[in-house]
Amino acid sequence: MSLRGLVKRFDRKIAVAGLDLDVPAGSFYGLLGPNGAGKTTTLSMAVGLLRPDAGRAMVLGYDVWTDPAAAKRLFGVLPDGVRMFDRLSGAELLAYHGLLRGMDAATVDQRSRELLDVLELGTANRTLVVDYSAGMKKKIGLACALLHGPRLLVLDEPFEAVDPVSAALIRDILQRYVTGGGTVVVSSHVMEVVERLCSHVAILADGAIRLQGTLASVRGERSLEDVFVQVVGGRTATGSELAWL
Amino acid sequence: MVVGFVRLKVRLTVNGLRGQPWRMALFVAGVLLGGSFAVAGYAIFAIPGLLDDAPIAGMLLTLGGTAIVLGWLFLPLVFFGVDESLDPARFALLPLSRSTLIRGMFVASLAGVPALATLLATTGMVGTAVRLGGFLAGTVELVGVVLGLLLCAALSRAVTSAFATALRSRRARDLATVLLAVVAGLLGPIQLLALAGAQHADWDRIAAVARLIAWTPLGAPYSMGLDVAADQVWAVPIKLAVVLATIGGLLWWWSATLERAMLGTASSSRSSSAVRRGTPVSQLLLPLLPTTRFGALASREARYWWRETRRRASLITFSVVGVFLPVVLAVTSGGASGMLVFVGALAAVGLANQFGYEGSAYAANVTAGVPGRVELHSRVAGYSLYVLPLLIAIAAVVGAVSGRQAAIPSLVGMLSAAYGTGLAVVLPISVRGAYALPDTSNPFALSAGSGLAKGLMSFGGLFAAIVGTIPMQVAAYLLGDVWLWIGLPVGVAYGTGAYVLGSRLAGDLLDLRMPELLAAVTPNR
Repeated sequence: MSLRGLVKRFDRKIAVAGLDLDVPAGSFYGLLGPNGAGKTTTLSMAVGLLRPDAGRAMVLGYDVWTDPAAAKRLFGVLPDGVRMFDRLSGAELLAYHGLLRGMDAATVDQRSRELLDVLELGTANRTLVVDYSAGMKKKIGLACALLHGPRLLVLDEPFEAVDPVSAALIRDILQRYVTGGGTVVVSSHVMEVVERLCSHVAILADGAIRLQGTLASVRGERSLEDVFVQVVGGRTATGSELAWL
Repeated sequence: MVVGFVRLKVRLTVNGLRGQPWRMALFVAGVLLGGSFAVAGYAIFAIPGLLDDAPIAGMLLTLGGTAIVLGWLFLPLVFFGVDESLDPARFALLPLSRSTLIRGMFVASLAGVPALATLLATTGMVGTAVRLGGFLAGTVELVGVVLGLLLCAALSRAVTSAFATALRSRRARDLATVLLAVVAGLLGPIQLLALAGAQHADWDRIAAVARLIAWTPLGAPYSMGLDVAADQVWAVPIKLAVVLATIGGLLWWWSATLERAMLGTASSSRSSSAVRRGTPVSQLLLPLLPTTRFGALASREARYWWRETRRRASLITFSVVGVFLPVVLAVTSGGASGMLVFVGALAAVGLANQFGYEGSAYAANVTAGVPGRVELHSRVAGYSLYVLPLLIAIAAVVGAVSGRQAAIPSLVGMLSAAYGTGLAVVLPISVRGAYALPDTSNPFALSAGSGLAKGLMSFGGLFAAIVGTIPMQVAAYLLGDVWLWIGLPVGVAYGTGAYVLGSRLAGDLLDLRMPELLAAVTPNR
């Protein structure tokens, strides 16, 4: 995935200001940034959910905005803060996504069962997705993104509000996916997750990439958290403020 | 404290308008509409005073006031929805006593165009009372008018809140459906009464009815000043008591249902872990639909019309209005084909904000790259699974009730033409003018300012569809008996043609605007 000069303005606020990003094929790429840095905006523009004011987004050689049909076939998306068609049961939702992607019914059935089984969502469970817990919602969202066997996965905050057990499961699945030749882009502000999983990292602040490269080159000798706080320019508590606490 | 609520409401309205020119335009249109209603109402209610005619004043003020109160009751349910910008659930965590909350929300609900327009319109009654009975009568009438406004607001809030709470729990759904049907059914007798009265021009009987209504909470606030003018000052305290007691009762009712509304959806989880057989695909697809994109979209849409409260509420409301209005007309005047055009178009208006219902979930279809025309065809198919049988049933019932069974096929043709034309108008609107609905479980809730958008879009769609079917109506009128034979095929062909044109236009529009549409229907967080 390669993003070139992406710009997005909301009213007068510039959310993303001329962002360039290269995700090499076969990498596990972590997009780090504080809240409001433009992670979700960037990923939305990269997958065709939000029209950029300027710039291009290429996925595996196809331009997302001039050739959407070809590009959209190749990736799967787990958006954050976006509802799913949550009045369907898990199995119905997977079948819906499969058929929407133009897959044949037999493949959809077989893969949905497998996914529901592996993700421990229950193959015969009729509970509607709206009644799922937060972790289950993330898992069914991931299943929907994986169903058509994409070569690129774009996951926005896949570990937010997920319990440790589900998180470990999601991690294993993603690692297996990358080993099998897939590419993953994850956004997060949880350092530990990124440090453990990713081969490449980019740090995003105020709508621009501040630092990008392999995990080793970005981190150097320090911990990723120190690098992150320094790059973003956060302050540390000195003890003089909030004395009433 | 109460002022804080009003300021919050005004601030929410202003912020909702900021940076969105079309919303601004809608708001201005709403203000103009409200203004013209106010001026017209003022003029009508002031006329009896200028004519110096006490009997006419007695009828006009009482019945007109009753109509306004009933309008406050029904219009939010059927057309506009409730402006829930002050969603009670958002105040649940604040340390507010229930009476403060009720008072604040009540006063805030008065800070809006409809309330101001109503107040202005009814002040015409004060003018009449002054002319007829002098200053004292005018003062009393002013008190009555203000109380009337409070009554309107309390009634509207209490009923919609109770209704929303009732529809939220699945078990009470059937009960609510029946209740709505009964309420809508009450329109029938009132219409019959009005029509019978108008036909016989029996003014004495109308005056008697008006005198009776003047003692009910509906007419009491608006007839107080006239009692003073007619030297019946003793009636004023009684009427005051009636009105105040009603307002108090309504507010109490509202506060009772509000408590439940504040608990939100937490309590409404259902026990549906039942095991179901079949493959995932067969669970999703409805029988007879193909295992394609179209099939998946249409099945999902059809399930949504039943599973989501907002859609179900609009479907139920349409069914009740769609069945009762033409039947009542058929009973009273014998012919209802004009009303059928209205019903067919109203059916299509149900799709005017089809993308708003699901909100950001539409992102799934955008990332899957569903072509615009497939998207729209499948949505219409899913909705029509419910609506088409209903329309045919309406035609059958109307034909049977009006004693013209032979006309049923041509009535179906007229309905199809109206439905198709309505869709042709409404589909582009649904792509172009979509707006976000708030994330609450109140099926009548709208975000600030979008009540007007909804109303204007519905009226626009209705009007355009009715104009669009004029050729059909003219043909039906001119051809007479021949129409009974060719009405069905011609109507279906007319509707289909219009639909094909409209859906192509809207589909191409959708292909260009998918991300913009997604942004439009995503609620601001």
